[in-house]
Amino acid sequence: MPVVKVLTEGIGEANLRDIKVYRDRGGYKQLKRAFTEMKPADVQAICDKSGLRGRGGAGFPTGKKWAFLPAGVAPRYLVCNCDEAEPGTFKDRMLLEETPHQIIEGILLGAYAIESHHAFIYIRGEFKRGYEVFMDALAQARKAGFVGKNLFGSGFDLELTVHRGAGAYICGEETALLNSLEGKRGEPRLRPPFPAVQGLYSKPTIVNNVETLAYLIPILERGPEWFAAVGTERSKGYKIISISGHVQKPGNYEVALGTPVRKLIELAGGLRPGRKLMAIQPGGGSSACIFEEHLDMPYDYESLQKAGTMLGSGAIVVMDDTTDFVRAAFNLVRFFAHESCGQCTPCREGGHWLERVLHRFLENRGLKSDIEMLARVSHEITGINLCPLGDSIEPFLASVLKRFPEQFEARVARETVRA
Amino acid sequence: MSRKNLYNVGALLAGLGVTFKYMFKRKPTIQYPSRKKKHAPRFHGLHELRRYGDGKERCIGCELCSSVCPANAITVIGAENSPADRRSPGERYAARYEIDELRCIFCGMCEEACPTDAIVLTPRFEMSDYRRGSFIYSKDRLLVPPEAGTGLAPDDRPNGIPSDLGRVAEIKSTVSTDEGYDATWRGTILKTQTKGLAE
Amino acid sequence: MIDQQLVTVTIDGTPVRVPKGTWLVEAAKQIKREIPVYCYHRKMGPAGLCRICLVEIEGMPKLQIACNTAVTDGMVVHTQSDKAADGRRAVLELYLVNHPLDCPICDKGGECDLQDYAMAYGQGYSRSVDPKVSKPKAVDLGPTIVLDEERCVVCQRCVRFDDMIVGERELVLKDRGVRNIIATANGEPYRHNFTGNVTELCPVGALTSKTYRFKSRPWDLRRTTTTCTQCPVGCQMHVDVRVGVVQRTMSLEDDDAISDGWLCDRGRYNVGFYDDPARVTQPMYKRDGGWVQIGWDDALDIWAAAIREACAVNPASVGVVGGGRLTNEEAFLLQHLFRAKGVANLDWRAGSQRQASPGRNGGTLVDLESCDAIVLIGESPAERAPVMDLRVRKAALQKGAKVIRIASAERPYPAPIPSTDVATVAEAIKKLPKDPKRIAIVWDGCDADFATSLLEKLPAGAQVLTYITGEQANARGAEAMGMLPFSEPGYGKAESGLDAAQMFAAARDGKLAVLSIFGANPAMYRADFARASFTAVSDLFMTETAQLADLVLPAKGPFEKTGTTTNMAGDVLPVNAAHSLETPADALSDLEMVVALAEKLGVELPVAEEVDAAVLRHLAKAPEDFTLGDARFGTSVILSPSKDPERRRKAHVEGIAFNVVVQTRVFGGGGTSAHDARIAELCPLPEAAFSPEDAAELGVNTGDYIDLVLDSVSDVVQAHHDNVGHDLLVEVRNGMPRGTIALIGGLPDSPASNLAGARVSVTNIRRAPEDAAEAIGAPA
Repeated sequence: MPVVKVLTEGIGEANLRDIKVYRDRGGYKQLKRAFTEMKPADVQAICDKSGLRGRGGAGFPTGKKWAFLPAGVAPRYLVCNCDEAEPGTFKDRMLLEETPHQIIEGILLGAYAIESHHAFIYIRGEFKRGYEVFMDALAQARKAGFVGKNLFGSGFDLELTVHRGAGAYICGEETALLNSLEGKRGEPRLRPPFPAVQGLYSKPTIVNNVETLAYLIPILERGPEWFAAVGTERSKGYKIISISGHVQKPGNYEVALGTPVRKLIELAGGLRPGRKLMAIQPGGGSSACIFEEHLDMPYDYESLQKAGTMLGSGAIVVMDDTTDFVRAAFNLVRFFAHESCGQCTPCREGGHWLERVLHRFLENRGLKSDIEMLARVSHEITGINLCPLGDSIEPFLASVLKRFPEQFEARVARETVRA
Repeated sequence: MSRKNLYNVGALLAGLGVTFKYMFKRKPTIQYPSRKKKHAPRFHGLHELRRYGDGKERCIGCELCSSVCPANAITVIGAENSPADRRSPGERYAARYEIDELRCIFCGMCEEACPTDAIVLTPRFEMSDYRRGSFIYSKDRLLVPPEAGTGLAPDDRPNGIPSDLGRVAEIKSTVSTDEGYDATWRGTILKTQTKGLAE
Repeated sequence: MIDQQLVTVTIDGTPVRVPKGTWLVEAAKQIKREIPVYCYHRKMGPAGLCRICLVEIEGMPKLQIACNTAVTDGMVVHTQSDKAADGRRAVLELYLVNHPLDCPICDKGGECDLQDYAMAYGQGYSRSVDPKVSKPKAVDLGPTIVLDEERCVVCQRCVRFDDMIVGERELVLKDRGVRNIIATANGEPYRHNFTGNVTELCPVGALTSKTYRFKSRPWDLRRTTTTCTQCPVGCQMHVDVRVGVVQRTMSLEDDDAISDGWLCDRGRYNVGFYDDPARVTQPMYKRDGGWVQIGWDDALDIWAAAIREACAVNPASVGVVGGGRLTNEEAFLLQHLFRAKGVANLDWRAGSQRQASPGRNGGTLVDLESCDAIVLIGESPAERAPVMDLRVRKAALQKGAKVIRIASAERPYPAPIPSTDVATVAEAIKKLPKDPKRIAIVWDGCDADFATSLLEKLPAGAQVLTYITGEQANARGAEAMGMLPFSEPGYGKAESGLDAAQMFAAARDGKLAVLSIFGANPAMYRADFARASFTAVSDLFMTETAQLADLVLPAKGPFEKTGTTTNMAGDVLPVNAAHSLETPADALSDLEMVVALAEKLGVELPVAEEVDAAVLRHLAKAPEDFTLGDARFGTSVILSPSKDPERRRKAHVEGIAFNVVVQTRVFGGGGTSAHDARIAELCPLPEAAFSPEDAAELGVNTGDYIDLVLDSVSDVVQAHHDNVGHDLLVEVRNGMPRGTIALIGGLPDSPASNLAGARVSVTNIRRAPEDAAEAIGAPA
C-alpha cells in the first residue's frame, strides 16, 4: 500500500502534544542542528534542492518563493498560514491538534532559513481545540528555550506570535491574511507589490502553509535527495491527502505524489458497495471535477492541471451516484458567495447571482435559459478578480454543468414564471 | 327683363340648388358647447397627475418630463418625503409641479418620459380663462383626488416596480374619452349631454 | 514610482510616450482615450476593486486592469477589442444585478458614472430575473452626508479618501460579500472638515449631500467657475445655481495648484446665505435709536457729507477698516478714494490677525508637499485654511514630512498623521529631521513671537517657506493694495496713519469723526472696538458691528460680484458672479459703493482698465522686505497671552485663572455660517479645552459643563462682561500648554471671540452623566 508515515508518524500512537514525547522521538533535533551547524542559506539550499512545493494550494516551489525576498532588508517576517478553510481539507487541523511541536519546529526552521526574527502563525478561528493545543505546545517550547532570544547559543533571536482568525475563508489568501494579521479588514491586497517585497507591516514577508513548513523537518533529517526521490518529475515528495465524501474510510492519508487516483480511493476504503462513481473533486472546493475516465491518472500537480483541474490543498471529495449535483453546486457556490469579502465586483455580485439562480433550481423553479446563463456568467466572472476566490466559483459548477446537464434540466420549472 | 337676365336666374337657381341640397344633408358642424365631439382615444388635452390606489402621488419629482419638454413648459422642484408626511412612494416627491399650459404644445412627450405614469394627458381641452397667469397649472389643479388613484404603489411590491407600469394606454386618465363628449368626428351624434354648461 | 525614463506604449494603434511606471489609465488619457474606472482616482491611485477598466494587452492571456498596470516599453494595448468590450460588458451587467432602479430620483442621475458607462459599454438588458438585494436607504451618516447603501458599488473611494487624504479613517467597509456596506468606524456621525468631498468621489449616487438632496438635476443647473472666498486658500470651484439660489458647489478636479481637487465643508456647504431672510437688503439709517430704511441716494449723501465735513476739519479723524473680504479691485479703489481725500487711517486688520503677506519666503501651496518638515505655529490650519491643511496631511502621510506644532492648544491631528508637539522654539529646532532641505513655517498671522524666533534659528542650509493662514480671504490682496496705514499699493512706503487698534482707541477718546467699515466685524472679534461719532458699515448682515453703526449699507456677497482675489500664496484668482443668482435688488458691491461715494465726494477714480492694470502691477511685486512678524505690523496685536511658560505657570499657580486662547472653527466663525440654515447643525457647541493636568487640578473631565467668570483683562478692555461663558462643554486635550483655556471664537451668542488674552476662572462645574462621558470618550 502506498501509505507512508512522515509527518503523520506517531499520530494516534503517542501523545505528540507533549514536548517530552516529541523530543524522545527525535523532535527539535533538526532545529538544533540547523541553528548550530548550518547557515540560513544552507537550509534554503536544501529546501530548494528537495523540490518542495507549497502544500497550501497554489503549489509554488518553496525555495523559489524564499528567493524572492530582497537581500539585506530587515526586518522580514515569516507567516505560517494555518487558516485552513478550503471545503474538504482537514490536514492542517490534524497536524495542529496532534503534532503541534512539528509545526513549531517547522516554523522556526523556515524563519531561520529566511533570517526572519519574528514569525507569526495565523490559526483559523474555528480551530478552538487546535489553538489551545498549540498554545500549550508553544509554552512548552518556550520553556525549553526553543523560542525567544539567542536560540541554542547561535545569537539568533526568534519570536513566534500566534494570531487567531475570526472566521473568514478569505483570510486564507495570503494578502488578506496579512491584512487581518495587521488588524485590518481581511481583504486581499492589490498585487504588485507582492508580499515578498512588501508584506506584513509593509516589510518583506513569506507566507507558507503549515504542511510545507512541517516537511522541512524530515527534509533536513533525511536529506533533500530522499524527498526528491519520490513523486514525479516536477511534483516531488509526499503529501497529506484529505479524502472525504462517499468513501468507506474518509480521512487523512499521507502518500507520495504521483499515486494513481484509483489507489487513493482504494486507500480510503473504496466506494460503498453497489454504488457507482460519478465525480471526484480532486483539490478542494475550488477545483473542477474529474471523472471515472481519469481514475488511473497519477495524483500530482501537472497531471491534474492537464486534466483541467488542480491538486490544490489535496482534498479529495468522492461523489457517487446518490449525489444531487445541483445541490452540490449550490452548496459550493453559496459557500464562495458567503465568503467573498465583497471588495471586487465579479466575485461579490457574480457569486451571489449564481447562488440565487441555483437556489431557484433547488426549488424546481429554474428557467431553461438559466442553464446556459449559469455557465456563461460563471465563466465571465473568472479571471478578472483581484484574488483567486472569485475564480474558484467556476470550476466545479462548470464541470458538473457540462457532465450532468440532465440533473439541471430536471429542475427547470414546467411553466416559465418570472420571479 | 332681358333674355340675358333670365340666364342669370338660371345660374342663381343652380347655386341655390347646391345650397338647398346641403340643407337636407347631415351637418358636419355641431352645436358646441351644447354638444361636444368625441375625441380619439389618445387625444392630447389638459394634463393630469395621477395617484396610486393608496392615495400616494405617483409623481416622484424626477424632472424627466421637464427635461424632455420641447416647449420648456414644465417646472419641477423635488423634495424629500418625511416619514410623517409621505407624499409619494420612495424618497422623493415633487414639491412644486407646474405646467404652463400656454407654452405647452400638447405633444405628450412628458407622458412618454414619465417613469411612473404619473403625468398623463386627458381629453379635456376647455381651459379658457381671462388671465394668462391662470394658465400656469400647479399641483393643486393637476393632481387627481386621492380616491381616483389606481394601481399598487411600489412600496407594496417586492421589486419596487409599480404594478401597472407601461400600461398607460389602458388606464390613461380619470377622464374617459366618452364622458362629456357627445359627437364623433364625423358629426354622428352618439348621445346628448349638456352637463357642465349650466354651471 | 515614476521615474522620468520615457517608454512607448501603443494604445488602440496610437503610440504614446509616457514616463516609465505611468499607470495605463493615465497613459490612455493622453490620447483622450477614456478607460472607464470607478475605484481608481488620480489622487489616490489604483485599488483594483471595480474591475471595469479591463483592457487587452498583447502577450497576456487574461484581460488586465488598466489602473494597476504600469506601462512598459513596447506594450500593445487594445481597449476597444471584442475581448475587452466583452469583459467590460460582463462586469457592468454584474454591477446592475443589484443596483436599484433609482435613476429617476437619484441626485447623481445625469452625471453618474454607472449610468454613463452602462450606456456606453453595457448590453442594455439584464439576464437576471431575481429580486435585487435590498439594503438600508437614506442612511444618515452625519450632519452633511446621506448614504444609500443599495446604490453603493463598493469602489471604496470614500473609505480610501478618509484614510489616505484626510487621515481620519472614519469611513469603513463593513460586513462582507454582497451584503457589505459603508459605515463609520464606531457608528458615530461622520464628521470632519472635508466630508463633502466623498459625494464627488462617489461614482454613483450612494453618498449625497444633505444640502443638495433632491434639490435639482444636473441639467437644470447654471454653472459658474469661481474662487471660494471663505478662507485665504482660494480653492477653485464650480457654483451651481437654480431658480436664483445656489444649490451646490463642486470642486475642480484638475485644480492641482490650489485646491488639489478638494473642497472643505465650509466652502462647499456654506453657500445658502445669499437668500437668507436676515440679509440686509436696503440701506439702513439709525435715527433716534431706531433703524429706518432709506434710499441709496440719501445714504450716500449722509455718508459723503460726514466724510466731507470731517476731512475739512482734519483728515486724520477719518478712518477706514476692512478690505480683507473685498476683491483686489475694491480694496484698491477704496484706499485710492480715501487717500485722495488725504485719509491715511486705513487698515484691513479687523480681527486678531496682524499680517497676511509672508514676505520674501513665501512659497506656493504645492511646495508644501515637498517639505521635509512643517512647523505649525498658532491656530490649526485645519480650521483656518482647511484645504491647505490637506497638503500638510499629504506631505505627512504620503511624503513622510515631519509635522511639528509649537505650543499648540489645538486638537491633535488624527492618529495616522504623525505630528510632534513641542513647547518652545528650541525644542522644535531639536526635533527637525537631519539636514532638512526644505522647511515650511505655517503661522496663523496673529502672535509673532514664535514665528520670528523660529525664523532666526532655523538651520542655515535649509530653504524656508512661510505660509500665513489668515482670517480674511483676501487679506494678502488688501495688503498689496495698500490697505495698511504704512504702505501704499505695491507695498510702497506711505504717510503713516493709524492702524485699526489706534483708530478704535481714538474713537474711544472721541477723536475719530467718521469710521467706514467694509466687510468686517471688529465688534465681534476685538475687545477694543469702539464706534466713531459716525460709523458706516457695509455688510451682508446686521452684524455686531453693524448694530453699533449709524449707517448700514447692503453689500453683495462673493458669488454676486466679479473681480480678483489673492490667496495666501500670492496667486491672483478670478472671482466671478454666479450666473442667474438672485441678488437683493438694492444690494451694491463694495466697488459700486466706492464708485458712488467717490462721485458724491468729487473724487475722480481711475477707469476699469486702469484699475485692472494697477492691481496686477501691484500684485506682481513681492513683499520683499517683509519678514514674519515684521515690526511695522507690530502695534496691531490686541491682547495676547504670555508665551513665556514660566510666567504662564506663575499665573496659574497664583489663582485659578486661565489665559484665554480663542480658536477658529471652520463652522464657528464668520457671519456667513451663522446665516445659513442649511448648515446650522454643523455649528460647533461652545466648548472649553484644558490640558489634562489643569483638568485634573480643577477636577473636570471631558463632557462636563462649566461657566466662566472674567478675572482680569488687559486695560484696553472694559470689564463689562460679568459672565463670559455659559454652559461650555469641557474637552480635555492632550498636548495643550498648561494654564490656558481654549475657547471657540466666532460662535453666535458667545462672547468668547473678543476674549483673547483675557484671564478667566471657572465656576459652576456640572458633571456629565456617566454614560454621556463614556459616549464622548472621556479618558478614564
